[in-house]
Amino acid sequence: MKTIKDKIAKLSFVALLLAVTSAMFYTPTASAHGEKSQAAFMRMRTIHWFDLDWSKDEVAINDTMTISGKFHVFAGWPETVDKPEVSFLNIGIPGPVFIRAGSWIGGQLVPRSVTLELGETYEFKVLLKARRPGDWHVHTMMNVEGGGPIIGPGKWVTITGSMGDFVNPLTTLTGDTIDLENYALDNVYFWHALWMGIGTAWLLFWIKRPMFIPRHIAVTSGKADTLISATDKKVAIAFAVGTLGLIMVSMGSTNEKYPITTPLQAGLMRGIQWIDMPETTINVKVEDATYRVPGRAMQMTLTITNNGDSSIRLGEFNTASVRFLEPNVLEDESGYPDDLLAEEGLTVSDNSPIAPGESRTVEVTASDAAWEVYRLADLIYDPDSRFAGLLFFFDEDGNRQMVMVDAPLIPTFI
Amino acid sequence: MSASQSAVRSRAEAVQVSRTLDWMILFTLFTAVLGGYHIHYMLTGGDWDFWTDWKDRRLWVTVAPIVSITFPAAVQSMLWYRYRLPFGAVVCVMALMIGEWINRYLNFWGWTYFPVNFCFPSNLVPGAIILDVVLMMSSSFVLTAVIGGMAWGLVFYPGNWPIIAPLHVPVEYNGMMFTLADLQGYHYVRTGTPEYIRMVEKGTLRTFGKDVAPVSAFFSAFVCIIIYFLWHYFGRWFNKTDFISGEGI
Repeated sequence: MKTIKDKIAKLSFVALLLAVTSAMFYTPTASAHGEKSQAAFMRMRTIHWFDLDWSKDEVAINDTMTISGKFHVFAGWPETVDKPEVSFLNIGIPGPVFIRAGSWIGGQLVPRSVTLELGETYEFKVLLKARRPGDWHVHTMMNVEGGGPIIGPGKWVTITGSMGDFVNPLTTLTGDTIDLENYALDNVYFWHALWMGIGTAWLLFWIKRPMFIPRHIAVTSGKADTLISATDKKVAIAFAVGTLGLIMVSMGSTNEKYPITTPLQAGLMRGIQWIDMPETTINVKVEDATYRVPGRAMQMTLTITNNGDSSIRLGEFNTASVRFLEPNVLEDESGYPDDLLAEEGLTVSDNSPIAPGESRTVEVTASDAAWEVYRLADLIYDPDSRFAGLLFFFDEDGNRQMVMVDAPLIPTFI
Repeated sequence: MSASQSAVRSRAEAVQVSRTLDWMILFTLFTAVLGGYHIHYMLTGGDWDFWTDWKDRRLWVTVAPIVSITFPAAVQSMLWYRYRLPFGAVVCVMALMIGEWINRYLNFWGWTYFPVNFCFPSNLVPGAIILDVVLMMSSSFVLTAVIGGMAWGLVFYPGNWPIIAPLHVPVEYNGMMFTLADLQGYHYVRTGTPEYIRMVEKGTLRTFGKDVAPVSAFFSAFVCIIIYFLWHYFGRWFNKTDFISGEGI
């Protein structure tokens, strides 16, 4: 009986080891950037990305693509997140699969952090150069100091070719043309190998002789002074003098080789130009807003007043990068990511054209699985249960007006 | 064999056992320091050591020596006090740098493809050699703290300048001036490390024109003296035999 038990125990142990080992070989690619885990109010009430365009879906190594579009900095920025006074236009990719060849806000190159103004809309563009082959989820992203990364929509882009072919040529202000991908790499290896070789020599000098037990006995028996000989001291002085000499010689030769160097460049960039948006002629008042948990739908009662001279219809509600479209008014032709696009997700109780001067109260419903998939429904668990988003209205000529809405949200559970 | 009998039967065997123990202790010390010092340095020096666009003439020069003199001070106190072995600083730095190179090559480059010329570690060997030599020649922890600690801070920047200087060559890019190191930081996207996190060229040290590196190094050197004392006593405390029973230890 005992033998059987022992065998079972052994086999169980082997099975456990096999399970653990096989689990180690299961390493699926981590492609997401945690965009669904970010608090819903962060995505709804901070940066609103729109009019986005990924110039290519597939790009070869060394070729470039752009992500361009606009973002609106929400005026009702949540109190729990620091204001975007120090922000950085980043890109959400899994490591440097692209290099960021350029990034602009309002036409200004923004390699550093910038100050953004609440309530303003900015145009941006990021130029990416393909470096590593694979399928990558490429997100827009704005990092805000004190707020963290505010991630925008992501789209899959395929890079083809071999990373070994990637080059990053630059011409310095001293006239040298270099490849930044491996520039000065030999120099790094050389100096590290040299200094670590010297360190190893110092160690070898000491560890070639008996170390711990005999020396401990000598120290405890009062013979510590005998453990360091005159030769040891000469060698030590040679190491110290050699070290200082090498530092001085290498400093001198380096300064001769690179006579022109500058300090690292840093600093906050202010005065970034925003878009002068035309004054809206549409007034929207949110009478109430509810989120129906079982139906995965948000319902708003809006009173819309058209103060313009052309009739208008509601075509889109955009929140947290999810676009709910009214199919009778708007169809997406930009290739926006499918998972963030609810092509028939917006219904309006009466979406006939609102005539100039007319005021109408309508029920607007934004429903789609995206509420759950993108965890926007978690808004009801946020500390400040408000929603925000962009409403896009279209007049008879197809002209678009953007209106920001921001109101409390009441969940309904039945 | 009873407990009172010797485990060895001849002097040759005793020497062999002693040497075996030497290698076992050294290996254990090396790997333990590699792990502990590495974690400590990554948590306290972190990005200053990871990226070339953090290796500036003010804060890197100041921070890196201060947070890196810790383990060498502690291990020196143990190896010198117990064994009169003057390689505490070098063994720490060698362990750290080997650990860092493994990390940078396998993880930073092999896993996430950051170029090695962007994420190589700082060189700490020159300061370690001087620290060990000062301790050995003076046999005084006070002098080692004052002279060695100061040297540790002072030689850090010149010991690294030949490695980073090529990356401080200026380049014009889209109408702005960068160093090549700045451009590495801009080109090679770090999603989790936005530009504003970078702590470089900050502070009020503006009255020395472009020559701030020596001033930063002197400040760092003074703080290194204090940190050396502190960590020397940490080493002393961990080196106590209060936890072990037996006589004659």
